[in-house]
Amino acid sequence: MFHSNDSEVILKIEGLHKRYNEGKSNEVHALRGIDLEVKKGDMMAIMGPSGCGKTTLLNMIGHLDKNSGGEIHISKIDTNKLSDGQQTAFRRDNIGFIFQLFNLFPFLSAVENVETPLLLQGYNSGIAREQAKMLLRDLGMGDRLYHSPMELSGGQQQRVAVARALITDPAIILGDEPTGDLDSTTSAEVITLFRRINKMNKQTFVLVTHNRWIAEKCDYIVHMIDGKISNMEMGPFKEEK
Amino acid sequence: MGLISSIKIAKRALTRRKTKNFSAILAIALGVTLMVGIQITTDTLENAFLTSLLIREGEVDIRFSNGTGGFLSAADESNISALVPDALAIMSELQSSGPAMIGSQFEPSVSMAGIPLDYNEAFGNFYDWDTGEVMDISTYLADNSSVLLSSSLAEDMDINKSTELPINLTTEFTSITIVPKLNESTGFPILNETTGFPILELQITEERVILSITEIFDSRRPGIGASYRGVLFSLDAYQDWMSLQDPLRNKDIIGAYLITYQTDHFSTPIDETVLQEKFDALEERLPVKMVNDQEVNVYAIDSSRLLYIGLIDLIFGLMSSFLNVLGLLIIITGILLITNVQLMSVEDREFQTGVLRAVGEKRGGIFRSMLFETLFQGIFGGIFGLVGGLIFGQLVALYLVSLFGSGSASVQPLVKESVVIFSVIVGVILGMLTGLLPALRASRVNIVEALRGIKITFEEKSSRNLAFIGVLLSFLGIFFFLNNGIINRNLQYIWLTSGWDNISEWENILLGAGFLFTGLGIVLSRYISRTKAFNLTSIVLWGTPVFMFVVAMGSGWITDMSGSSLNILIIAIIEIVIGSVMLVGMNLPYIMRFLRSTLIKIPGVKGVAQVAPALISSHKTRSTLTFAIFAVVLTLNVTVASLVATNIDSTVGQSEEDSRGIDLYVQLSDPEYNLANTSYTTELYRIDSAITDVIGMKTFKPGSTDYTRYVATKNPFSPDFNPQSNLLPLGFGELRSDQILGDAQNATDDEDWRFDFYMYNLPDGVRPTSIDLGASDEVLLDQSKRAWDKFFDPEYRMTAYNITLDLENFDISNFGGFTASTLEEVDPILDINGSEVQYPIVFTDSFLLPLGMPIWIPFNTSQFGFPVYQPFTIGGSFDSDRAGGWPLSRSMQTEGFSSGSFSGTLGTVYFPERFSSYTDFFGMADELSPDKREPDQFDTYLIKTTYPFDSPAIEDVAQSIEDFTNTKDSGYRKLIGDEFMVATATSLYSKLEASLEMMEQMTNFLQIYVNFGLIIGAVGMAVISVRNVAERKREIGMMRAIGFPRYQVMTAALLELMVLGFIGLIIGVVNGLFVNVGFSNMLDVPVVIPWGTIGAYLSFITFIGLLAGAIPGWVASRIPAAEALRYVG
Ligand SMILES: Nc1ncnc2c1ncn2[C@@H]1O[C@H](COP(=O)(O)OP(=O)(O)OP(=O)(O)O)[C@@H](O)[C@H]1O
Ligand SMILES: [Mg+2]
Repeated sequence: MFHSNDSEVILKIEGLHKRYNEGKSNEVHALRGIDLEVKKGDMMAIMGPSGCGKTTLLNMIGHLDKNSGGEIHISKIDTNKLSDGQQTAFRRDNIGFIFQLFNLFPFLSAVENVETPLLLQGYNSGIAREQAKMLLRDLGMGDRLYHSPMELSGGQQQRVAVARALITDPAIILGDEPTGDLDSTTSAEVITLFRRINKMNKQTFVLVTHNRWIAEKCDYIVHMIDGKISNMEMGPFKEEK
Repeated sequence: MGLISSIKIAKRALTRRKTKNFSAILAIALGVTLMVGIQITTDTLENAFLTSLLIREGEVDIRFSNGTGGFLSAADESNISALVPDALAIMSELQSSGPAMIGSQFEPSVSMAGIPLDYNEAFGNFYDWDTGEVMDISTYLADNSSVLLSSSLAEDMDINKSTELPINLTTEFTSITIVPKLNESTGFPILNETTGFPILELQITEERVILSITEIFDSRRPGIGASYRGVLFSLDAYQDWMSLQDPLRNKDIIGAYLITYQTDHFSTPIDETVLQEKFDALEERLPVKMVNDQEVNVYAIDSSRLLYIGLIDLIFGLMSSFLNVLGLLIIITGILLITNVQLMSVEDREFQTGVLRAVGEKRGGIFRSMLFETLFQGIFGGIFGLVGGLIFGQLVALYLVSLFGSGSASVQPLVKESVVIFSVIVGVILGMLTGLLPALRASRVNIVEALRGIKITFEEKSSRNLAFIGVLLSFLGIFFFLNNGIINRNLQYIWLTSGWDNISEWENILLGAGFLFTGLGIVLSRYISRTKAFNLTSIVLWGTPVFMFVVAMGSGWITDMSGSSLNILIIAIIEIVIGSVMLVGMNLPYIMRFLRSTLIKIPGVKGVAQVAPALISSHKTRSTLTFAIFAVVLTLNVTVASLVATNIDSTVGQSEEDSRGIDLYVQLSDPEYNLANTSYTTELYRIDSAITDVIGMKTFKPGSTDYTRYVATKNPFSPDFNPQSNLLPLGFGELRSDQILGDAQNATDDEDWRFDFYMYNLPDGVRPTSIDLGASDEVLLDQSKRAWDKFFDPEYRMTAYNITLDLENFDISNFGGFTASTLEEVDPILDINGSEVQYPIVFTDSFLLPLGMPIWIPFNTSQFGFPVYQPFTIGGSFDSDRAGGWPLSRSMQTEGFSSGSFSGTLGTVYFPERFSSYTDFFGMADELSPDKREPDQFDTYLIKTTYPFDSPAIEDVAQSIEDFTNTKDSGYRKLIGDEFMVATATSLYSKLEASLEMMEQMTNFLQIYVNFGLIIGAVGMAVISVRNVAERKREIGMMRAIGFPRYQVMTAALLELMVLGFIGLIIGVVNGLFVNVGFSNMLDVPVVIPWGTIGAYLSFITFIGLLAGAIPGWVASRIPAAEALRYVG
């Protein structure tokens, strides 16, 4: 265990392995025994060289793909044991995803993108629309509600993606290089936004980033090399607000 | 980068993006299959018709016969040979026909021919029916009672290959001898008072002869055998028998000399234009002699081959153009499919181009590599398509065999190289163009934008060039409008009410509105939004023909249906299809918004409701093309399906009313005997007490070589009379007023008429100036009765109009039965004094004879064997569209082409009784004629019964009539002491059924034809769906990531396709029904909606949508989300 704190553990990973193309000649052992604990309200950064397994780890946490061994507990639930349908519902209700590129449905407007997870939860479309609008306004996108993603700047797109991840009020938000495509000013805006939400709602953030400066905005940084966690740096880092 | 690296890039692209390439290849393949298949089908059908006719001509190109009737002699051979120095061979032939009885089977008229045993081998071979080997006929025709039988006749006579030969055939020959006239009481010859010699008279007897069938030859196989379908004698033997007709027993008689210019006509068809030239030149060279101070040809020549080719053009013309329209629309479907799939690559290509450009690839290199890629797709697609088309053609040919099969040899899939090459090239080029153009365009776009995946938007405003085209189109439209009245003075201005009342005016209105508003739409879209501009265009495109079909035709605005009704159908269908597809396509976002708002209320599919409609409207062009495929194909399918239903239903429903009480009719193989105490009519009443009325009639059909009894469509004594194209083998019928009017005096007499059936075209004085399509049955019957009054009025004459019928230049748009005539646009014929030429009238059921046309009917034959022609005006035609209409006609539907009886196909001319005594064929003109008949010696009987029209009891009556007449040694045969008499009793209902069956066969064929489009459309849908899903992998990953359950991912894919399929279906059904309303308004029959068929289409579309959408959707929903997310295209 790299981390210990007395508040409630929301995500607990033990001995997680992932092999791609298992048993074939081109097998890749992408995760080689990951142990990790994240507490509710933590904001954690994952750093590491390209190809070390960061994206793979996020995908495993969100059950976007099957793992090859180990355990994942989210809010005390052994999510490995759930069926695909249950995993999907679990993901829908508890996990928000933010990706680096092509984050939004290009054929839906900003507000439509954001309201979709609520619709999946069965909300009335009018209520979903109102909530999505409110959240977008909160995120400063009030004047871009009906724009299509292609008509938005990278930062704006990312803010819509954030809104979509947040709308269901998930316990954990997973971000795979959420600022990777953005310039430094916009990146700063986005990470500041994360921090604010994190503070306000006590939502847990797991962010993969290559940017040291971004990482330092988090509570702590997990370093990965070759499918393993190599070390962890605890914050607070220099100019935390 | 060089050529090699371009190829390498293309190769990598091809191997990596398998699904996409596969779908492009498949789309091109399907498109090419459609084009090749449809072409092969159409060509094969036409060829099947033609060969089934031509095969009967064997190797004969031209026939010489006696120019003044009668026979030729052996001495003519050298003269004729000299006339045709370029002929390959010449052969003599003597043909006639007679009854034949084999076993218990009797045929009233079998063709018999004698040919020389040493005939030139250029005319081909006879083949043994059994072994298929070449026969030497001389070994079988040793004496004058040995004959050969054709396999066609053998089959009719219930003889099969295992029947033991020889078998006997009984026939009759007419024998004429000169005998002294005997005093009836003394029995001594009567002497001429002045000369003292006995008075001579002709004794005509029928000599019954038993012949021996020594072998059967195959008459379904190309060769000389195919041209003899009855009984074959040696020439000498047949001359023996035929000479019995000559009191002097002259045996040097030849019926015709046959000329051939080449061998193997079947495998290497003769060039018809060359043959026509030879024929024309020969006609100029024919020697003449003087008869009665008139120059007449010594020889008459004819070429059935040329005639058949002409006829096929004529009969097939309508069918062919209908098929071509269908084919064209189906091919458009193929084009839509190719374009659609290739359009999907656009975004793809843009990204790819962006990457390549970013790493420094030049435009030329990009173009080259894409060229290779699309070339590869095009060539493979073309090859597969060709194979598919050939297979399809083969299958259709097989079906055609069962449909028209008079011999499998006559239906071969006809694969024209030019057609195949053309279709494949079009497919390949189309595939490449639709693939390359967007790529080329992409290679010019901003690299950064391409990389960022910004779509090329099609919403931009029209360019100036486009606007210019729009202006041009508008002017073209105005030109069409102005055509009415200003350019074409026969039509009225559009701003007059009379400018909206005929089909030709509407043709210009449709075209004018179409072009004007397309142009306007393009121009307007520069100033207002494209959606609004093109909504206007599409509403006009769709609305004009619909208005015409429903309002203008339905409420009787269009009073004159003459003109090219086929053109109007084609133009209207095309406009309706384009208009509807465009209209729905333009408003797709609104429809999708509606769909979303409906679906989003349903729990469990809210996610689907959010993405599927949005996906559809985000790719407007692509979605439009997708539903357009089904819209086009289904418009055709529903049109065809409801046409059939409309026709069939209206036929059955109205037939009882139309039959005017006639339940069945009987045809005798020979005119009835002139019996002292009874008549056939009397006997018929005795057969069944349910028979309430028997109307006896006289009819006649000329033999196939009996040119002296063909109807002339031009004055036979005018210098430009051409026997080749101006003689028609029509049947004749005599109509007496008691047969039609019964006890009634005239039209105003309220007494029930005996047989007052419906007339279609009416004579002068009865015909209204404009044709009212909505006229009630009473009005139509009243008009018909007044027409009959004219017909029987000996004083009545009708003006002959300047209408000619030329078989070689037949104008299909005047297709007789297709349009009612007002004769408004044709001029009367004037004589040298300038007054109108008027003749007595005849009525007809022939679609070949337009109202008002003069015809010349050959009456009694003069002593020179030359007919005396009486001119008539066609004063009316029977309404053959009204089921019972004229029970004696409609043989075309029942017999089709395979029976080979053209006079049956071409119809009959009916003239009033007062002319009968001038004819040979009704037997009263020439006492010497063997056909001599008394006024009441009938051959055809129309019968009314107490039973309802469709009662099975009528079949029983028909059966008892046949039993009474056709049973050996009893009934009628016993009465007349003749076994050579056969009755065929046919109930009108069964006739109707038969014609419905024929109609169904034809429409089944059409159905197959259009269903082919449906199947290709369905496969195309599957391709599009696979493509869609493959391309949206990333979106699908994202959907899964944010919590879309698998079933919703699948449903989304499914829904997209289903929605597009249903839109296509709805457009198709609505359009098809409107077209059908128009069609039934044109034909004046009630509309019938084939709900069953539409239901079948609905299930088909649902099934295809489910299958085509669900399978790829299911596959996609199984892909781990993480993997899908990594997909970048
Ligand atoms: N679907 C897959 N099939 C095979 N190998 C894979 C697959 N996905 C990832 N890998 C391999 O697993 C390893 C970890 O990949 P991963 O995407 O997790 O790296 P990463 O740390 O996110 O790198 P980056 O910072 O470049 O995004 C890599 O070596 C990669 O090649
Ligand atoms: Mg990564």
